[in-house]
Formats: sequence, structure tokens, C-alpha cells
Amino acid sequence: MHRISLKVVMTFIKKEFRQMSRTPAMIFLVLVAPLIQLMILGFTVTNEVKHVKLFIEDRDNTHTSQMLSRSFTSTDRFDLIQNTQNLKPNVLISDWKAQLIVTIPRGFAKELALGRKPALQIMVDGLDGNSAAVALSYAQGIIALFINSELNIPYKYPVNAAILKAMPAQADVQDRMWYNADLNSAQYMVPGIVVILVTIISMMVAAMSLVKEKEIGTLEQLMVTPVRKSELLLGKLIPYWLISLFEINFVMLAAHFIFNIHFAGSPITLGFMAAIYLLTTLGMGILISTMTNTQQQAMFFAWFMMVFLLLLSGLFVPIQNMPLSIKRLTLLNPMSYFMTITREIVIKGNGLKYLWKEALALFVYGIGIFTISVIKFRKVTK
Amino acid sequence: MQDIILVQNLNHTYGEKPALKDFSLSVATGELHGLIGPDSAGKTTLMRILCGLLPIQTGEGEVLGLNLKTDYKAIRAQLGYMPQRFSLYQDLSVQENLMFFARLFSVPASERDKRMPELYAFSRLDAFKTRKAGALSGGMKQKLALSCALIHRPELLILDEPTYGVDPVSRQEFWQMLKSIQKEGTSILVSTPYMEEAELCDKVSLMLNGNLMASDTPSDIISKWDKSVYRLSADNLKEMENKLCSFEGIDSCQLFGHELHLVMDKTTAEDTVKALQSKFVHTGFTLEKVKPGMEDIYLSYMQSSAIEEQFDA
Repeated sequence: MHRISLKVVMTFIKKEFRQMSRTPAMIFLVLVAPLIQLMILGFTVTNEVKHVKLFIEDRDNTHTSQMLSRSFTSTDRFDLIQNTQNLKPNVLISDWKAQLIVTIPRGFAKELALGRKPALQIMVDGLDGNSAAVALSYAQGIIALFINSELNIPYKYPVNAAILKAMPAQADVQDRMWYNADLNSAQYMVPGIVVILVTIISMMVAAMSLVKEKEIGTLEQLMVTPVRKSELLLGKLIPYWLISLFEINFVMLAAHFIFNIHFAGSPITLGFMAAIYLLTTLGMGILISTMTNTQQQAMFFAWFMMVFLLLLSGLFVPIQNMPLSIKRLTLLNPMSYFMTITREIVIKGNGLKYLWKEALALFVYGIGIFTISVIKFRKVTK
Repeated sequence: MQDIILVQNLNHTYGEKPALKDFSLSVATGELHGLIGPDSAGKTTLMRILCGLLPIQTGEGEVLGLNLKTDYKAIRAQLGYMPQRFSLYQDLSVQENLMFFARLFSVPASERDKRMPELYAFSRLDAFKTRKAGALSGGMKQKLALSCALIHRPELLILDEPTYGVDPVSRQEFWQMLKSIQKEGTSILVSTPYMEEAELCDKVSLMLNGNLMASDTPSDIISKWDKSVYRLSADNLKEMENKLCSFEGIDSCQLFGHELHLVMDKTTAEDTVKALQSKFVHTGFTLEKVKPGMEDIYLSYMQSSAIEEQFDA
């Protein structure tokens, strides 16, 4: 009966791009803001623990203990500090002078020479639990390496070898990091940031652009033309759909040059998944526009939703680490699927073969939310 | 002649608040019809219903011979609507706005290329083709909005207070434009809060609180009115006003600059005047009968409805 007129849709698309090109804020939002966000988040949101302030309280003061101290300085993980004021270890920590204190007891070298494993004390500032644990494990690693190598030197001597055998058998752990060999946290964060940027651009900007038509009264003017709502929505959303797809490529390329991100998977697969994911975010954009009357309200609403999407997306805390009840909640969050998909594709190079469950979920959400929002939009605008 | 607009027994409420009460109106094809009424009289509600922007709650309506309830999409294609608030894209130029609406109404390119120079000439916007709509003056914005509403040569034009807040010169030009549009065969329904504009219409409908008070040609509304108006001038006008407003036989009195208009029933007017003159014989004043204007009628309706409301309360 009625057919969607391609000419009308094109008229809208042209109008939308023309208006965008005249809005400096829009150009900033699409081209500059993502770069800034990429840089800030990419450089600061990191799980890497580096330059931990370390104080070594050397009560032994022997050649061996000094060798141990030196082995801490050979990495950039630790910055050795001096306790010139002779403060107590706990004061050093409470005054933010040190984050980690290693106490080498008197007789450390002697114990070691005897082939025993001497006890050391490590004090950690546990304020930032994650970093503390990581720093602690680095410190333990360095100490263990040192002690083992010290014990291995006298391996030639039978006495020590016997004692070594008497010690509990230790599995020799050889670790090799897959997909991200040098534990570059940008490699993990950047795909997540791309997901956020795309969500913001598509959801917020689409919502605001629709609400703007409402706010300045043009929506009403459009409603008294023969334009069909499907034409209006297509014409309004296709530009943002295109821009979001452009955004993914743009940010990925920028990330490649800035952070040396290695794109393991197929960009086409990612583009395809993004195209589906955008149905969800654009749908949410329409939904927001039906519930608000001004751009300010729409912005507030969009941010409100963003916070939930973000916290339950696994960007900062991997979903596997969340409590079970929250883990279930993330199933409701379309962003979490796209987050997983993007990381799997970019970092591991996985194809759809391994991601079909997430892809299916995205597809269901996309179609569902988009349909609901279009129905709501039709109801609200007569 | 067939009616281009015909609504019967329309009732419309926003929540509890009634906007139209059992409202019926007919507008003949080819007419320039004015809707006169204060804010909240129901003018915008009526216009939005006629454009299909609001659904009919109760009652019947036909526009362009098509049923409003079922054929509002067909009606929209043949209708030009200009809302009260400027509703075009401020960041698009005059020309871009016109082209945009031409495309939405599927005006063929050949027709559009003929139509646009006509509209430019008639709105005198050709010098501002490339100017952004947001940078136009108030009067020019309205001319652009009118041009956009005319791009598809609608049979009916519905204009919601198009001259509100526009300077007097632009208002005059705007009405000249409306007259020439009407000559081309377009029927026009226009609302206005300005009484002097009412007299430029073929017919006017006075609206108040969702009711139709009168609907006729301006001259018939005046001649058929059952009241007489007397003009009173005096030195102590303020004082006189207080005394006269409660005087037996005077329906209402309105201050018009330095004179007072007294409205009274035609049948008893002469007696009332005599009584007035004998009572205030010592006060120096002059009293003469004048031809009532639209404003007298309108204000008198408003006052009596205000009194009724008080009475109801």
C-alpha cells in the first residue's frame, strides 16, 4: 500500500549531515572528543602496577641483603625510597611515603648461607586492593627468584641440595601470556573504550537530535506533511548509524597509532556486529526521545542509562569477577555482549564461530529494542 | 458552496480542563476566516485537531471533504499549517528550508522551480535566500514559514497567530500576502489576538473558553449585536468608571484611552442614558452614541463570561 520513499529518506539524511556540518559541537563530538577520551582512558585506566614506592628496611646489612635490595631496582615496577627521617614503617605508609615495605631481618644472609629459607616481612598499603595485591606478588616474585638463585648457587654442595630436596616440592611455573604478551593494558582497554564511544555517539546523539526536532517544533511541522514516520526515523537514524560505524574505524586506527594496538580479528566481522549492536543503541535513543521534551532532559536520561550500561559492561571489572547476582544482571545489558565480542575479535582474533551466543543475544536485543522504540515513537507522535 | 472545514459538537479536554465545549464551526471554500479569542480560548486546540495533530475526542469533523478521523493523512497532503511558534530549521538557509519542504511534499522539481521564484517575489525573501532562517527578523521568519506552508499549493491554509509579536508594518504586509493567496483560490483559517485584523477577514468566529460566541462577517457581527455603545469623556474618568460600572442598565464599561465605552442593551439604552444624565447632572461629562467596533463586542463577551464564571462559582 504505502511504500517508503527513498527520496524522502535521502532528503532527511542530507539535511541531517548538513545540519551536523554546521554544528561545531557535533564535529568536536565526533572527531575530537573520541580521541581525547581514548587518550585519557587509554593511558590512565590501566591495571598495570608501576613505580610503586618501595622502602627496604635492611636490618641485615650484608652483601647478600644489598644484592636483594638491588634486584628490586632493576625493574620500573618499584621506585626505591630513602627513609632519611628515620620514620617507623607504619608511619611511612600512612604518610604516603611508601606503598610497600620489605624488611630484611638480621641474619638473613647467614640463614641463606645455611641453605634455609629466611623469613622476610612485607607490608603493603592495601588502600587500592588490586594494585596492592599485584605489587605484593611482584615483590614476592623478586624475593623468591633471589632466594632460589642464591640457594641454587650452592647447589653444587650436597648439603644444600639435600636441604633443597627436603623442602616441599614446588611446581615449576612457566608463565606465558597469550593474546597480550607484554600485558599492555591499552590492548585490553581500548576495545572497551571503542564500545563506549560508539554507544554514546549513537544513543545520546540520536536521542538529542530527535528531541531537538520536538523542542524547536519542527517535529510537529513534519507531522503535518505527508512524511511517514518510518521515513522520518530512517532519515534521522541512518546518519548516526553511519557516523558510529565510521567512529569505530576511526578510533581503532587512532588506537593503532597511539597505543600500538594490534587488531587480531576481522574488521568486517566487527563492523557487522557493530551494525547489529547499533540497532539497540539507536533504539534506546528513540526511546529516550519519546520520554523527554528537551535536549537537556534527553542528555540526563542518556547519562543515567550510560552509567548502568557502563558499570555492568565489564569494562573495568571483568564480568567473570562479579558476584553471581550481578553477573546475571549483566545478561540484561546489551553493551556487555558487544564488549565481549569486540575484545574477542580485536584481542584474540576470534570469529563468529566462537561468538555466536553473544551475537545472537545482540541480535535479539537489537530487534527487540528497536521494534519497541519505533512502536512507542509512533504512539507518541500522532 | 461546499464547506472546506466543518466540525460538529467537538469536545476536547486536557485531563480535567476543557479546551473545546460542544464546538461547531463551518468555513466555506475560498473564505478567509478569522478565529478571534484570547489565550486559552481553544483556538490552537481547534487548529491542531483540524491538522490531525490531535485526535478527535468526541464530535465529528471534515476538512476538504475528508473525514478527520479516518483520512487525516490525505488531508495533510493538501493542507498548509503554520504553527504559532516558528518551527523551521534555524540552521538551514531560507532556500534550504524551502527545498526541504518541497521534497517532503513531493513537489516535482519542475513545479518547484516555478514555485520558488513566485514565493520569493511574493515574500520578498529573494535577497535573503542564503541567510540562515535563525538569522532572519521576526517578520521575515513568518514570511518564510508561510512560504514553506505554501510550497505545495495547498487548498487550505491554517495559520496559528501568524502575526503575533510581529511589527505593524510586517503585519500589514503579511495580511496583504494572505489576501493575494486567497485570490489564487486557497481557503484560509487564521487565528489572531488583534481585533483590527478581524475586520480584514471575510468571516470571523469569536471564541471564548472553548465556546463559539459568534461566527459571521465582521459587519454582520457588528450590526446583529443587540447592544449599543456610548462614548463618555469626562475629567474624572477613573472616578466615573467605578460609579458607572455598577449603574443599572449598563452591561459593561471599558476604558479606551481617554474615554469610556459604555455598553447597554439596545432596547433600554435610551432610558439608561436619560437616567444617567439626570443622576450625574452636576458632573461635567459628554456622552455620545458610537458605532460599536469588534473590540467592544469582544470585550463585552469577555466581561459577561467573567461575570457568569463568578456567578457559577
